[in-house]
Amino acid sequence: MTARATFALTAFGLALLALAFVLQGAAADPVWLIPRRLMKLAAMIVGGCAVALSSISFQTVAGNRILTPAVMGYEAVYLLLQSVLVLTLGASGLTLWGGSGGFLLSILFMLGYSLTLDRWLFRDGRADLWMLMLVGLVLTMVIGTVTQFLQLRISPGEFAIFQSAAQISFERVEPWRLLVSTILFCVICLAGWRGLPALDVLALGRDQAMSLGIDHRRAVRRLLMLIAVLVAVSTSLIGPTAFMGIFVANLAYALAPGAGHRLTLPMGCAIAVGMFLLAQLMVEHLFDYRTTVGILVNLACGVWFLALMLRQRSMI
Amino acid sequence: MDRPVAPAAGPGAGNDCRPWRRRGMGRALPGALFAALCLASLMVGAGRMELAQLTTFSGEAWLTLTASRLPRLAAVVLTGAGLAVCGAVLQQILRNRFVEPATTGGLEAAKLGILVALTLLPGAGQGVRMALAMAFCLAASLIFAVITARLRATVLVPVAGLMYGSVLGALAEFYAYSRNFLQGMQGWMLGDFSKVVQGSYEVVWLVLPVVAATYVFARRFTLIGMGAEVAASLGLGYRAMVVLGLVLVSATVAATVITVGAIPFVGLVVPNLVSLWRGDDLTRTLPMIAAGGAMLLLICDLFGRLIIWPYEVPVGLTGGGVGGLMFLFLILWGRR
Amino acid sequence: MILLTDIGKSHGTRAVLTGITARFPRQSLTSIIGPNGAGKSTLLMLIARLAEPGSGRITLGGADIARISRAEYARRVATLRQFPAIELRLTVEELVAFGRFPHNRGRPTAEDRRATDEAIAFLSLDTIRKARLDELSGGQRQMAFLAMTIAQQTDCLLLDEPLNNLDMRHALRIMQALRSLCDDLGRTVVAVIHDINFAANHSDQIIALKDGRLHSSGTVDQVVTEAGLRDLYGLDFHILPRPHGRLCDYFTPKGEAG
Repeated sequence: MTARATFALTAFGLALLALAFVLQGAAADPVWLIPRRLMKLAAMIVGGCAVALSSISFQTVAGNRILTPAVMGYEAVYLLLQSVLVLTLGASGLTLWGGSGGFLLSILFMLGYSLTLDRWLFRDGRADLWMLMLVGLVLTMVIGTVTQFLQLRISPGEFAIFQSAAQISFERVEPWRLLVSTILFCVICLAGWRGLPALDVLALGRDQAMSLGIDHRRAVRRLLMLIAVLVAVSTSLIGPTAFMGIFVANLAYALAPGAGHRLTLPMGCAIAVGMFLLAQLMVEHLFDYRTTVGILVNLACGVWFLALMLRQRSMI
Repeated sequence: MDRPVAPAAGPGAGNDCRPWRRRGMGRALPGALFAALCLASLMVGAGRMELAQLTTFSGEAWLTLTASRLPRLAAVVLTGAGLAVCGAVLQQILRNRFVEPATTGGLEAAKLGILVALTLLPGAGQGVRMALAMAFCLAASLIFAVITARLRATVLVPVAGLMYGSVLGALAEFYAYSRNFLQGMQGWMLGDFSKVVQGSYEVVWLVLPVVAATYVFARRFTLIGMGAEVAASLGLGYRAMVVLGLVLVSATVAATVITVGAIPFVGLVVPNLVSLWRGDDLTRTLPMIAAGGAMLLLICDLFGRLIIWPYEVPVGLTGGGVGGLMFLFLILWGRR
Repeated sequence: MILLTDIGKSHGTRAVLTGITARFPRQSLTSIIGPNGAGKSTLLMLIARLAEPGSGRITLGGADIARISRAEYARRVATLRQFPAIELRLTVEELVAFGRFPHNRGRPTAEDRRATDEAIAFLSLDTIRKARLDELSGGQRQMAFLAMTIAQQTDCLLLDEPLNNLDMRHALRIMQALRSLCDDLGRTVVAVIHDINFAANHSDQIIALKDGRLHSSGTVDQVVTEAGLRDLYGLDFHILPRPHGRLCDYFTPKGEAG
């Protein structure tokens, strides 16, 4: 009963936030404002859920509560691809590829990266996570300098396009991409639904999962594939989320009324979507557009995480 | 977690120097290489300049040399040496091989300091900016030292550092965005030597006394790498040394960020390579670290100037790329 | 019955196990003993299929275990290694229910709930069944993991150092539980045990490994001898007979034991 009450309360809060977001000041021009806001809301829901699902399931596979796909270089790979596209094709190329072609290409890239990870790090079934994490960090740093260089080189118009691709934002949602993302997301959820109990078993660690009859190697590979697509969906729809996944996952563990993924995954989704809504509302009303959702989210998650590190000695 | 590159006991613990190179060669060869790189750095540029012109004391060539090429050479050498030494000192203080100004929030803090100086005191000179950048960097480094002291897993330190840096970066962005200053900020995000000319770069000379001071205290920094208990039992004021080290690091970081911008990885790669080769005794390795940093940056700078001549790729990018690749190599090599 | 034929395993160039041939009879408790680095845990992992042998064959009831599907194997053999380090916010009850996963793939039935209850009752964990794992002591947590393995209701249980880091009371409780699993429920139990006295007093059979090779094997009387243990561990042993077993004394070197 308490679990149900927790979720009812969360859903209620979320619905209130969503209503506030869609309806605030909409009387001025409801025909134009409301459909646009509904689209943004849909992007927040799909993107937020993708971030939460990918982060939490990745942490389960990795057996670690700090690592997320973003930390492990997934988003860096995505941004690298975008940078290369801008460099080779120019911004027009990016907008061109930014449609369905770029989307599919980035999904392919992510899948490739996932396969590499799986090959290289999960061979013998034992993850050499530290190694991967360092590699991910280096990739992130190198790609960071590459993107900065691009920002200096390209014209202001191109800069705006790139900037919007390199930060969380709901402004660039297009109906077509939203549709593709939503469909992909639903497919992933359906594919993952059957594996949900197995995810709980994976949380017990490789050896225990195997002795409970799970083909660990195959399960990990499948999960990494699903995670790759989820990251591609979230990154291309709303932009790179950096450390947000860690925040969402850890808060979900703390707030969910139990440890099963049946409980933590929905809670994570609710937290991510709620955070987006709150940040967007704050940007529009509290800060009067003098800041962006990306900056707010980075700031909040980073500060929270550092506080967590200071408070809790044995995080890993 | 016992990786060769990440010993839990800190860098000072393992002191394995491998005498597989004869000392004589080890000294003469880098010296010659260094001289050649300096000469090459002077010769390369958008404007033509040949040795013959110099011998005839052609006014234009001399002007290019003194106003642009020599300052640039000095800036590159000082920045490279300074950042590499910074990295070595930070690695001893935080007792972790994977730290350098870019992975401890130092760079971001310095940027934040400059930003504050530019917006609050727009008329102030370079001295004020320098002071603010250094103050911010020092404060951020001290806080980070406190954070890392509480982290048990060595490998988490650079993650925490990057996260810390991104918080400071977000803070800077928040501040810049609300003051419509974001585009202006991009300018000194990325290290670039092309704007170094006579009259604008002199702050970077501050690196010289800092490196000298580091050398004077080298033995103590090595001891600090062994931890507070060891240092104390050897009669060393641990805290005072940590603060001194961080002050030196902050001064270097602030000076280089103001004159050329952020250059990642130099402070990470060079000390690690030197310590693989010659061990961790800073009294012996510090000159090599400084020279190695200068040479790495000279190579990156030359590379950046030549690759799309007559335009140039900023050194932040080439340094980031070359340094990043070297770092990856270090990790993978240490893994075996 | 589990039968090992000429098992070999190496990590890189270092041979961890060489030419191990052994049998683990049905409905008996077999302890694997030996000094550190003898390959005990590796051997258990091979039987558990957590690693693959470099050479040789392992059969379960006559069938090569490599040919049994992992899901099927989990219904016949349960393995408990040292509990994972990750903080699990599970209750004891939830953890034990995981033991039913091989049977229900995550969709519990009334039968599963009954098996869970039985396993909890078997180890007398009813008082802490609603407690969270991270709130328990090491011994209680180990008992909870053992209960999960029992709930798996397999013929065979493999336990890797189940007494590690436990105080005497919990260690004894676990050994008695293993004994009762064999005697009352007819299970086959194989455990890596470090404490020679626990192994000597509670096992039916002992297998001793040294340097990756089979040192000796057989009944307790055959393996636990002063000469055999001295050779195995490089220590002087006194074996003192007691009314219901024996005591292996290695605490005092020979000269002082008097």
